[in-house]
Amino acid sequence: MLNPIRHRQFLELMTERGWDLLIFCGDPWRKDHFRCLVNVNFSGPLGIAVLARSGEVQAVVTDPWDIDPVAAAINGSVTLAYDPAEGLRSLLTRERAAVVAINGMEHMEARLVSAVTEAVGTSPVSATVDIEEIRRVKTPDELEWIRKAADLADRGYQHFVSVCEAGVAEFELVAEVEAFVKTQGAEDNFMLVASGGTEVTGMKPPTARRFMPGDSVTTELTPQVNGYYAQICRTLVIGEPSAPQREAYTIFAEAQQAAQDLLRPGVDIADVARVQNDVFRKRGYGDYTGPQYTRVRGHNLGLYPDELPHVLENVHYLCKPDMIVIAHPNTYLPLSGYMVFGDTLQVTATGCVSLNKTDRKLFQA
Amino acid sequence: MKRGLISWDHGELPPADLDARLRVLHARMAEHDVPVAVVYTDVWRSNDVRYLSNFMPYWNRAFAVVPRGEKPILLCSLSPRVYPWIRSVTTHETILPSPSLPVQLVKLCGERGWSSVGIVDLMGLPNDLYTQLRAQPLAIVDLPRSTLRSAATATEVAMHRRAAQLARAALKDGLTRNSGSLTDFQLAGQLERRMRRAGAEDVVLLVSDGTTVPLPPRGVRVTEHSSVCVSVEYNGHWAKLARNLAGVVSPLAVAASDTVHLETLSGAGGWAGYRDHEIATGSVVALQVEIEQGGRRLYFGETGLTRPGGDLEIL
Repeated sequence: MLNPIRHRQFLELMTERGWDLLIFCGDPWRKDHFRCLVNVNFSGPLGIAVLARSGEVQAVVTDPWDIDPVAAAINGSVTLAYDPAEGLRSLLTRERAAVVAINGMEHMEARLVSAVTEAVGTSPVSATVDIEEIRRVKTPDELEWIRKAADLADRGYQHFVSVCEAGVAEFELVAEVEAFVKTQGAEDNFMLVASGGTEVTGMKPPTARRFMPGDSVTTELTPQVNGYYAQICRTLVIGEPSAPQREAYTIFAEAQQAAQDLLRPGVDIADVARVQNDVFRKRGYGDYTGPQYTRVRGHNLGLYPDELPHVLENVHYLCKPDMIVIAHPNTYLPLSGYMVFGDTLQVTATGCVSLNKTDRKLFQA
Repeated sequence: MKRGLISWDHGELPPADLDARLRVLHARMAEHDVPVAVVYTDVWRSNDVRYLSNFMPYWNRAFAVVPRGEKPILLCSLSPRVYPWIRSVTTHETILPSPSLPVQLVKLCGERGWSSVGIVDLMGLPNDLYTQLRAQPLAIVDLPRSTLRSAATATEVAMHRRAAQLARAALKDGLTRNSGSLTDFQLAGQLERRMRRAGAEDVVLLVSDGTTVPLPPRGVRVTEHSSVCVSVEYNGHWAKLARNLAGVVSPLAVAASDTVHLETLSGAGGWAGYRDHEIATGSVVALQVEIEQGGRRLYFGETGLTRPGGDLEIL
């Protein structure tokens, strides 16, 4: 459906920037560039919406099965174009000399940007950064969908724990969890796993490796409900955890708690990373907070599972109420191999609340 | 998103096949007089590099850089921590960390003395990469996708067939009269479980209740008029099929007027899903038809290999 709050905000942005048209272009990897205005889970290769200063929305789709749902959502005209460049040209023919901005222009195929330039006679500008800033603060409806996704992440992790045992292959576990969250209404799920001991340095798609006693099994589980993602990160040990695995878990839990205790409006996201890393430094593991062993100490969530800003000590951004941030100090430690722990957090007026209810512990199977 | 089993069975996809694909590209590069070819890949547009080296970016994006006469080099921004996994499922031996793909490519060109570079489907690059590369002092040659891929090979066809068999079996066992007691969420979950446990890498399910086109599941009850359209990826090779609970089937042909949905899954055409090109003989295509029955919309579809005259060999 058309997101009414975003529709109004984007129109205000267009007035502020002097844009005549604002184009939203999403592909199957980055549907969010389209869905932030028109929340339809399109099936084809592209979904393109064109917002005019009048508020009118038109769309170009590349799959005949997308016409009906997109038309119902925008209450406007939808063009089916098997050649999307031609579809854009034809839609923009009347817009000679218009000032055009594109959300997702960086990710859009160059031939489509070229088609826009040809049609209107001027080069479009990118609206991505401005739109990201608006999207960062979630609307009440969006928060409700993210809460549902977080609840599903919790239940999905319960299912993960119930299925995970020695002898099961990584891809079989993922199959069970994927099926569970789909059955419960997820439209998608981003999920990485890893299993083993201190030789494991990161997560990846599942392999055919079968779990063995003593393995750490890590996952980040990220179900998507009505377009919106929430994430949970937990570690499970097959059998009795070893002393080093238990010690590692205490470091991760303390680091995540430090981030949760700090996160509130006005806090620099760099400090949310710093307090997590400080826990590792204090315990003598500061070397394992850098890019050789880890990627980020968290990120934002929404219509994309890895929204900006990333939680890193060199990224500066003052947090705002109703941002959705996962703090996860996931990294490699020589104690345990790669370990993960994290919850989806909603920034409130005075602090933050975890949207996940899963026990904060090192799980066992 | 990609989150199923990504693997490389050398019996199924022999290294010799990948070598042969590379040799074809080397020969085309000589014809275009370029010392190096670059192929782009990301989570969506993954098929071409997968074809070349079996690399699948489950996240992020990458360049496969192919010096003439040499094996492909991978430029990617995935963490070096997953390089061992990448090497275990691809032909890539050299992987260069590349927070910026254009910067790393230009650096490599400088080191190797390449003043020109061929890019497969140049205008299909994401605009940021295209713009950054165009700003470099490099002569860029646009290589059509047919430089890389032509008619589907026997190995490709066999893997598409495996994907089709996987989907067909799941639909046969999972789509029964009893499905009418389920919601489309539940049906999708059951089918997904079957296919992923059988080794599917990616699964996309659409469901029609007889009143709509196939849509992503939305929590409605499955009825006797429902149809399910399944797209399944098996080790980089897709198949797409549709079945209806009523058991109605339809003959399929590329040029048939009741074909409502046609996609090229393997061949020299545009990116997967675009229908902006002629369907060449020897392509793997998916056809879905809409069957009107008693005011309901039923769907049936298959994946097949195009034969001379427009006939379809069902895989």
